[in-house]
Amino acid sequence: MSTRYVVTFTLIMTFISAFILAGLFYATAPMAKKGEEVFNKRAILAAVGDYLPNPLSEMSDEEVLSLFEKNIEQVSLDMDGEKLTDITAVKIDLAQERKKPEADRQLPFFKYKGDGKTFYIMSMRGKGLWDDIWGNIAVESDLNTIAGASFDHKGETPGLGAEIKDSPKFSYNFIGKTLYDSNGNYDPVKVAKGAAKPNTNSVDGISGATITGDGVGDMVWVWLKFYEPYLNKLKSETKMGMK
Amino acid sequence: MDFINIVIKTAFIENLVLSYFFGMCSYLAVSKTVKTAFGLGMAVIFVLAITMPINWMINEYLLTEDIMGMDLTFLRFIMFIAVIASMVQLVEMVIEKFSPALYTALGIFLPLITVNCAILGGSLFMVSREYNMMETVAFGIGGGFGWFLAVVALAAIREKIRYSNVPPALRGLGMAFILTGLMGIAFMSLMGIDPAALGQ
Amino acid sequence: MADTATATPQVKEPLFGKKERKLITDPLNDNNPITVQVLGICSALAVTTQVYPSVVMSIAVVFVCAFSNLTTSLVRNHIPKQIRMIVQLVIIATLVTIVELVLKAFSYPVYKQLSVFIGLIITNCIIMGRLEAFALANKPWRSFLDGIGNGLGYGAILILVAVIREITGKGAIGGFAIFPQSFYDAGYFNNNLMVLPASALLVIGVLIWIQRSMYPKLVDVS
Repeated sequence: MSTRYVVTFTLIMTFISAFILAGLFYATAPMAKKGEEVFNKRAILAAVGDYLPNPLSEMSDEEVLSLFEKNIEQVSLDMDGEKLTDITAVKIDLAQERKKPEADRQLPFFKYKGDGKTFYIMSMRGKGLWDDIWGNIAVESDLNTIAGASFDHKGETPGLGAEIKDSPKFSYNFIGKTLYDSNGNYDPVKVAKGAAKPNTNSVDGISGATITGDGVGDMVWVWLKFYEPYLNKLKSETKMGMK
Repeated sequence: MDFINIVIKTAFIENLVLSYFFGMCSYLAVSKTVKTAFGLGMAVIFVLAITMPINWMINEYLLTEDIMGMDLTFLRFIMFIAVIASMVQLVEMVIEKFSPALYTALGIFLPLITVNCAILGGSLFMVSREYNMMETVAFGIGGGFGWFLAVVALAAIREKIRYSNVPPALRGLGMAFILTGLMGIAFMSLMGIDPAALGQ
Repeated sequence: MADTATATPQVKEPLFGKKERKLITDPLNDNNPITVQVLGICSALAVTTQVYPSVVMSIAVVFVCAFSNLTTSLVRNHIPKQIRMIVQLVIIATLVTIVELVLKAFSYPVYKQLSVFIGLIITNCIIMGRLEAFALANKPWRSFLDGIGNGLGYGAILILVAVIREITGKGAIGGFAIFPQSFYDAGYFNNNLMVLPASALLVIGVLIWIQRSMYPKLVDVS
C-alpha cells in the first residue's frame, strides 16, 4: 500500500472521529453543565439533608434547583471575612482557590432558611490519599453545633476512602459535634483512627482508610478556621440584635 | 512535593500494579521467567518516562479549555493514546536493532505495552493530579520502576514455585493471581511510610 | 449452558445460528476473557468493591467492545497494515470518549464516580485483543456478536467478583445490607480484607481454581 493511501486514510479517519466527537461534545455540553450544577447544589443541600422538606434523593433535578433558588442565600467572602460583591458563591471553584496563596482565597458561604430555622453552610477542599477531597459542613444558628455534613472525593479507593461519601454513617456522625470547645477555643471535630471514644469531639474513622480520614480531619480544621473571621462578625451582629 | 518524594511514593507506596492493577495483562503474561520480565520492565520504564512529559506538554498547551476559541479537552484520550502508540513503535524499532535476542524473547508483548494500562493510566493521573513538568517526570520514572520491580519479583517467585506441589487446577494463572494478591498485601505495609519524612 | 437467543428460520446467513450463538456463549465460560484468555484484568478490577459501579463498567465495556469490533470489521479491508494498531486505538478511543460524554450528560454522579476508570477502558486488552484476533478476519455481524459475547464474559466476572467482595466485605449487595443487625450482635464481622485491592486478585485466583477443577481441559501446564 502506498504512502499516499496511508496518509489519506489517516486524514479521513481523523476527520471523521474528530467530527463525531466534536458534534457530540457540543451537543451534550449544556446537559453536562446542568448535571454538574445540580450535582454541586445537591452536595451543598446534603449538608442540611435532615431539614429539607423532602429527602434529597427523592427530589428531581428541577426541585433541587428551585429549592436552592428559594431557600439559600449566597455570600462570597474574602479571607478577612469581608463580603465580595463581584462573584456569586456557587461560582467559586475551590479547586482553583486551593492553588492560590492563602491570603488571596475566596470562600463560598451559604445560608439556608427553612421551617423557621437557619443554618450556615461552609465549603471546604483538601487532600485525601490519592487525590482531592471536599465537603460541606452546616452549623446551627449558634454557629458552633454541626447540623450536618457531606463529603465527596475525586479518586479515593471505592470501598475504602470513598466511604467518606458512600457511607451515610460517616457524615451522620458529624451531627452534634462542635467547632469550639466549652471554653470557646477553636477545636473543631476530629476524625479518629478507628472507632471514636464516646463523648469526645471526634467521629469514627474508616477502617482501612486512615490517610483519607486524616485528610478529612486536616481539611475540616484548616477550612473552618478560614471562615472564623466571618463567623465572629455574624456572632457580634446577633449579640447587637439581642440588645 | 519534590522529585525524590514522588519517585519513592509511586514506586513503592502507590505501586501501579499492586495498588491500581495497572498493566495487569502483560504483567501476568511475561512473568513466567525473570529474563523476559526484566526486559519488558525496562521497556515500561523507558516508555513511561518519555511519553509522560510529551503528553504533559500536549495537555498543557493544546488541550486547554480555550485554544483559538475552542474547547478541545474531548480529544484528550485520542491524543494520549496516539502519542503512546507511536512511542512504543519507536521503542520496538530500537530494541529490534540493538538487541534481536531481547526482541524475539518479548515477541508479541512489546506491542502490548501500548495497551498497558500503566502507560495511559500514568498520563491520566498526571492530568487529574495536576502535576507540573518535574513531577510528571518523577511520576514516570517512579511508576515505571515500581512496575519493573513488581514484575521481576513475581517472575522470580514463579520460577521457584515450579518446584512446589501446587494443585493442578491452580497452576500457572490461578497461582499468579494469588501471589500478586499476597504481594499487594505485603506492599500495603509500606503505606505507613510518610514520603515527606523520608525526604529529609 | 443456557441459550441466550432463538434461531431464526433464515437459510442463508442466519442471524442467530448455532455458530452465532456460540460467539456469545463461549466467552461466558470456555473462553472467558479474564479467566481463560487472561486479558483485560487491568484497572477495571479496582471498581469491584461494589456491585453498582461494576455493572456500569460492564455495560460500558460491552458497548465499546461490540462497536469497536463492528467498526473495525467494516473497514478491515481498507486499513493500511503499517498503521493497524493506531487505527484500532483511534476507533477505541473515540468510542470511549463517546461513553464518557454520554455518561457525563445523562448521569453526572456515575461519571464522577468512574471517571478515571472510564478512560482506562481504552487500554483494556480485551478490546484490543478481540480486534486483533477476531474483527480483522470476520464479517461485521459476527464480529459484533463476538464483541457482545466477550464484553458479557468480562462483565460476568467483574460482577461476580463485586458480589463476592461486597457480601463478604461489607455485608451488602448493591448498597442494601443483607445481614440483619442480630448477626453483628451475635459476633459477626464484615471482613475488611475483602475491600482491599489485593483481595480482588485473590478472589479471581480462587475463581480460576474452581473453574479449572471443573473443566480440566483448561489447565495449563506451565
